[in-house]
Parts: sequence; C-alpha cells; structure tokens
Amino acid sequence: MMSESPVPAYAPRAVNGSDTPPPGGRPVLRTTIGTTSTPQQIGKQAMATKIEIKDLRFYYKKYEALKGISLPIYDKRVTAFIGPSGCGKSTLLRVLNRIYQLYPDQRASGEVRFDGRNLLDPKLDLNLLRAKIGMVFQKPTPFPMSIYENIAFGIRLYEKLPQSEMDGRIEQALRRAALWDEVKDKLKQSGLGLSGGQQQRLCIARAVALEPEVLLLDEPASALDPISTLKIEELISELKSDYCIVIVTHNMQQAARAADYTAFMYLGELIEFDETQIIFTNPSKKQTEDYVTGRFG
Amino acid sequence: MASEHVVKSFEEELKRLHSLISRMGGIAETQLADAIRAVIDRDSELAAEVVEGDPKVDELEREVDDLALKVLALRQPMAVDLRSILSALKISAELERIADYATNVAKRSIALNQIPPVRPVHAIPRMGQVVKEMIKDVLDAYVTADVDKAVRVWNRDEELDEMYSSLFRELLTYMMEDARNITAATHLLFIAKNIERIGDHATNIAETIYFQVKAVPLREARPKGDASSFTIVKPASAGAAK
Repeated sequence: MMSESPVPAYAPRAVNGSDTPPPGGRPVLRTTIGTTSTPQQIGKQAMATKIEIKDLRFYYKKYEALKGISLPIYDKRVTAFIGPSGCGKSTLLRVLNRIYQLYPDQRASGEVRFDGRNLLDPKLDLNLLRAKIGMVFQKPTPFPMSIYENIAFGIRLYEKLPQSEMDGRIEQALRRAALWDEVKDKLKQSGLGLSGGQQQRLCIARAVALEPEVLLLDEPASALDPISTLKIEELISELKSDYCIVIVTHNMQQAARAADYTAFMYLGELIEFDETQIIFTNPSKKQTEDYVTGRFG
Repeated sequence: MASEHVVKSFEEELKRLHSLISRMGGIAETQLADAIRAVIDRDSELAAEVVEGDPKVDELEREVDDLALKVLALRQPMAVDLRSILSALKISAELERIADYATNVAKRSIALNQIPPVRPVHAIPRMGQVVKEMIKDVLDAYVTADVDKAVRVWNRDEELDEMYSSLFRELLTYMMEDARNITAATHLLFIAKNIERIGDHATNIAETIYFQVKAVPLREARPKGDASSFTIVKPASAGAAK
C-alpha cells in the first residue's frame, strides 16, 4: 500500500478496482528563482536615458572623491543617491550641473552624456546648461525680494517677456510647485517671510520656472518638518511626469518613498544601482543590505 | 547576519522575536508528540495534558504579534529584517494551527480510549513519526536558516500524504466490513487527517523559511501524494453482482 504512487489528479479510482500503472516517476522539485527585471526592462517604451554617466572621476585637489562612477539616469523618473556621509553622493550631484566649477582645485574626468553632449566639456555654455538642469539645495535659498520677483528674476536672465506672459509663467511655476494657493494673495511680499517648507517650494518653483529638463534636489527636505517633507515628496512625484529628477538624501525612507531608482554609494564608489523596491527589499550586494537595514558601522 | 545593527535595541527585538518562535515551535512539537503517544498508548491523562497545554501556544502567538507590530511600526525594517519579521508572523500562525491539530488528536484519543482498539490504528505511529520529524527538521531549518533542510521537509510531505491516502482506503474498507467499527474508524480518520494537515503546515513553514533567506518565493508546485479526495470504495457485493 505504501509504495503506491499518487493517482493522477481528478481520476477517481475504486479501492478494489483494477490498478492502472502509475504515470511517470515521482515529481522532482525544481525551484524557480524569481527573475528580477533589470532597469532596462521596466517600462521600456516610456523610458529613455536622460543622462549617461561613464567612468566619472572627481578630485578635490588630489583627493579622489568619485572613483569611476557609471550609471544611467532615466527621464521622467526619480533617481535617488543614498549612502553615508562622504560617500560622494552630493559630489556626484554637483557634477551634473558643473556647480563645482565655482571652486578652483576641483576637477572631473570621464564622461557625462546629456542630450548627446559631454557635460564635462569646458566649452559648454554653463548658463544654458544650468537653465536646462535646475538645482534646489538643502537649505531654502529664497532671494531677499518679493515672492513674484524670486521667480521673475531667473526668467529675465534668459528671456524677455511681456508683463502678462510673465504673470502667467509665474502662476504656472507656483502651481507646479504646489504653492500658488498659499501665496497668490501676497505675491508682493518678501519670500523670506514664508515658512521653511514654503520657501523650499518657492525654490522649486524658481527652478521649474526656467522649464528645465532635469531637476537636481540636494537634501531638499532635510531642514523641513515631517508634513512639509511629505508635501515636497508629493510634489516630486507630480513633477516627475515632466522632468528627470535626481535627489540626494540622507533619509533612506525618503528615497524608498520618492524614488523609482536608487543608487547606493560608498567611499566614492557606486556599490549598487537598481529599482528602488529591489534596493530596499532584496539588494544584491551585502554592503547595500547592511546599509538599508541599519547595520553600517 | 554577520554584522549587527547600529541600534542595539532593534537587534535585541529581532532576536527576541526569533527566540519566541523557537519556543513556540518547541511547545508545538511536544504537544504533537504527546498527542500521538496518547493515541498509541491509549493514555487519556497524557491527552488531557495536551488539551490543557494549548493556551500556552496561543499566548505565545499573541506575544509574537504584539512584538512584530511594534517593530514594524517603530523601526521601519528593510530587506532581510523586514522578511524575518513577516516570517515570524506567518510561522507563528502556522505553529498555532499545528498545536490546534495536536489538541484535536488528543481529544479524539480520549474518545477512542472509551472503546476497544481497532486494527488500522497501526498506521498512526508511522504517520506520527514522519510528521514529528518534519516539524523537528523545519524548526531546525528555521533556527539555522538552512534552506536545503527546509526544502527537504517540503518534499517529504508527499510521503505523509501517501500514508494518509492508503489509511483512508483501509478505514473505508474496515467500516464496510462491520458497521460497529464506524465510531473508532471515524475518529482515526480525523486523527490521520489532522496529522496530514500538520504536514501541510510544516511545508508552509518551509516555504516561509525559503523566502526569508532567499528573498524569492519557492514557486514550483509541491508534489502531492494525497489522493483521498478522489477515493471511493464500492461495496464488495456490488462488484460481485456484475
């Protein structure tokens, strides 16, 4: 009795009926390992590489802060750079709009392809570059002028617009930054009078007003209270339908909530880059797992 | 888990969760062994002890739930930590069911002891031995995060299913021979079914261990050896009349 093999499914059999020979041998266990799709396979039709970073090295005098970073940054997606202090994530962001150029003794090598050109090319027009790649910093940096002028100031550097069109552009930018309803009745008041969260959204409005293609956010919410932080994150998820967004954050939960892709960096190297969900649930490198689970020394 | 958490209290909470599961598993294992022994030895006192012991397992399950909820809310665990907490929640629920089935086996053994022993009871020790080994191995696999061992338990359930299937047919025939056997045979049938179900829960635990360690599910359909759902027995006279 014990040696009988299982009857095929849905084949009723009488106990004292004639036994048919068992079909085949025992089933063998085969485990299928879940295939994790590569970033390239996700949403292929809608996704394009906006910036391609290739073997990027960066030096503060002789100190090598980035040791050969290569990764794609996708358009209309949010990419987060995470890692402990000094890992190079802010440096990487600063390369993307050449803001490091303000300082002597800082230089980059390698390649950063953006719209078919190398961003590191010294002949590149930096003003045009920064109109296309906007940046928002950790601390809100409103200019000491009215809310209206904070936004108009940047636009005037690049375009000469009639008053009515300028008004429209400013309203549009404030709406995009989810700030319009809060400031529409006090556009002439100083931007410095706004709360921290409002000031940060004003800075985002200022960046968005130039109709950039890429938005770089360096710790955009780390100086804000939790609700203002969530507002910024919500804003990021709305803005990504039009822009390529890169965010540097110390707050891993924020990267988990806001980013589609996450790059984990450590000591100037890119340890792992993948979909955010994979980085936080099943990273392939032990260093990444140690970091996201809070085991990093 | 080579390196430790920066936050020591988090590390301690995870260890505590792990040890709660081990304790729960130990109790469920003993409950099961005692229940099976109560059937074999016709020991109603031992059976009563098993029934009285069940609330301990329920209590531990609540403790696991409370701790897991707290850790999820306060620590926002990621990756391997998140999986180990989900595993603890799932495994504690499986262990609670296993202990429930063991309790039911014990209760039925008390009923069986009121009537004379019947022949097919001989299959119970064999089934009991297999299921006890499965539970022991799957708990070892949990403690040592041994995926291979977990997969072996997972595969072994087929053997238990086959034993149950053949006992099922034997009991049907036995009842047909003499209607006075029906009470004992029905209790035995439920006891065997309980043991077979415990095997299924052991395989669930094995799957959870696999996911906890590998971060991907054990997908392949498990081999099934239980054909009893499709089994019928025709009275011998009906066959002879043809």
